[in-house]
Amino acid sequence: MIRKLTAPPIWYGIIAAILLILPLVNDSRSTLILMTQIFIFAVFAMSYDLLLGYTGIISFGHAMFFGLGAYTVGIWMNRQDESLFSLLMAILVTVILCALLGYVLGVVTLRLKSHFYAMLTLAVAGLFQVGAEKWRSLTMGNDGFTFSIPEWLMDRQLFYYIAFFFMVGGFLLLRRFTLSPLGRILQAIRENEQRAESLGYRVLHYKVISNIVAGIVAGLAGLMYGLALRFVNTGVFGVDITLDGLLMTIIGGVGTLVGSIIGAALIQIAHDWLTDLAQVHWLFERWIILFGIIYILAVRFFPQGIVGSIQRLADRWKERKM
Amino acid sequence: MDVLFNLTLNGLATGMLIFLLAAGLTLIFGLMHVLNFAHGGMFAWGAYTGVWVYAQTGSFTIGVICAVIVGVILGGLMERWIIRPVYGNTMQQILITVGVMLVLSEMLKVVWGPNQLSSHPPELLAGSWQVGGFIIIKYRLLVILVGLLVLIGVQLLLTRTKLGLIVRAGVSDPEMVQALGIDIRRVFMIVFMLGAALAALGGALLGPYSGVIHADMGMEFAILAFIVVVIGGMGSIPGSALAAVIVGLAGAFMNYYVPDLSLAVNLLLMLLVLIFRPQGLFGAKGVQQ
Repeated sequence: MIRKLTAPPIWYGIIAAILLILPLVNDSRSTLILMTQIFIFAVFAMSYDLLLGYTGIISFGHAMFFGLGAYTVGIWMNRQDESLFSLLMAILVTVILCALLGYVLGVVTLRLKSHFYAMLTLAVAGLFQVGAEKWRSLTMGNDGFTFSIPEWLMDRQLFYYIAFFFMVGGFLLLRRFTLSPLGRILQAIRENEQRAESLGYRVLHYKVISNIVAGIVAGLAGLMYGLALRFVNTGVFGVDITLDGLLMTIIGGVGTLVGSIIGAALIQIAHDWLTDLAQVHWLFERWIILFGIIYILAVRFFPQGIVGSIQRLADRWKERKM
Repeated sequence: MDVLFNLTLNGLATGMLIFLLAAGLTLIFGLMHVLNFAHGGMFAWGAYTGVWVYAQTGSFTIGVICAVIVGVILGGLMERWIIRPVYGNTMQQILITVGVMLVLSEMLKVVWGPNQLSSHPPELLAGSWQVGGFIIIKYRLLVILVGLLVLIGVQLLLTRTKLGLIVRAGVSDPEMVQALGIDIRRVFMIVFMLGAALAALGGALLGPYSGVIHADMGMEFAILAFIVVVIGGMGSIPGSALAAVIVGLAGAFMNYYVPDLSLAVNLLLMLLVLIFRPQGLFGAKGVQQ
């Protein structure tokens, strides 16, 4: 499948412009928080897409990187002073920890078949959650803890812009990565692992690299999540976080990166709306069922998700015109 | 001595519950190469149905029977509408069964509300016996007994019946079985329904055993069942039984002596098995590429 190297930049520009102006027009607290959440989860979902859509790895434990990032910044800011320097150090530590975790986990488990890898990551993420619960001296157990961040970061409007550029930066970097020769090899592995192997590529080596990059990006998303809430508890390691990333990626479109952003926006907005509607009828509180069903239908009938399906329709239409 | 005995009994009972879950999982994987991530959902549905029917009718037996029926129905529907269409595509299988798990456990909250339900053993099985200084809780004994019966039953089914012969042949070479004119799809469906029924039975037995059930426990038990299936070897019933007992006992003893490490020990066990003996203790099928 040949994907166009340049997606229509005009649309991207218009949407980016709208998002840049938005906080100036509507600076209500709830909108800013919702949008910030969308940006952060979009990055998390994109990192998941790198594994699922670009390398063909199914991980059910991606939340462990997310949680690691959130806990690192929380613990670091609590133990050190709340200056910009210690924030930068926390970022550095997150990157190092996630890279290490991604490397060790990848080397030990990525040689397994996909079922076993999925199962093992699910179990290891569970271990992280239990660990965070039990290591009370460091994590305060189940209740979690609040922490303070540099004064200037508390400005919601500023944080909105930081999260926005975080997403844009994450998108551009991951896009660059997937279009690089290395990214091409990853896609070759996804399409046909034996073939890639027999062409002389050490498949495991590339899978581990993909795991490390996805881990670091997910860890940074977790760090931003921690900064946005100024609070962290064991929920950040939960299976729900991984499942959110999975739903966003599949519904938006695997292997497209943009799909993850669209999926993140859809799910976060729906979550926001439907939770409000829960006062009207309690059934709306179970909104995740709706997405679960859409997800199953998507896996079954539209494996390319929203973005992939639109792209295919557009391609077909273009062919007909010619 | 008393503590040791109690912990052993407790571990055996938990192990048997996990075995009920793992037996279906390992058969389905061995035969169809489908790792059913929704298996824990069947378990949780069995638990809720069992507890609810028991509370409504006052009869524990009817509760268990209804749970098994729900398991069979769910298994049949799932095989026909979810598994069969994506058969042969590993990635789609894994992704779709996780989706089913999500929907199943959320549906539980829709039907029975998000709060946990409580349950207790029926009068006949409540309380305990005192045998020579040892206290034996009756219900635990029942769980162990049912587990053993299922183990023997499944083993007999596999080794003494025509269906079992076909299943065993299917585990080693499904294409050949089909070439011999046997509709392997029907066998898949039967095995899938049987696996779901066993999971639901395990769930129904868990209710009075643990006292409370909640919607998220499906996933917790599914992880334990995955560990058991890996340690025992994919497709092997005796392997699963042995591994389930090991995991159950390890869980019970660790919970008493070093509670913080109970899940970690089982995970380490699984990791060691995966690294040094990837086909499991009894399995013939390798898991490495």
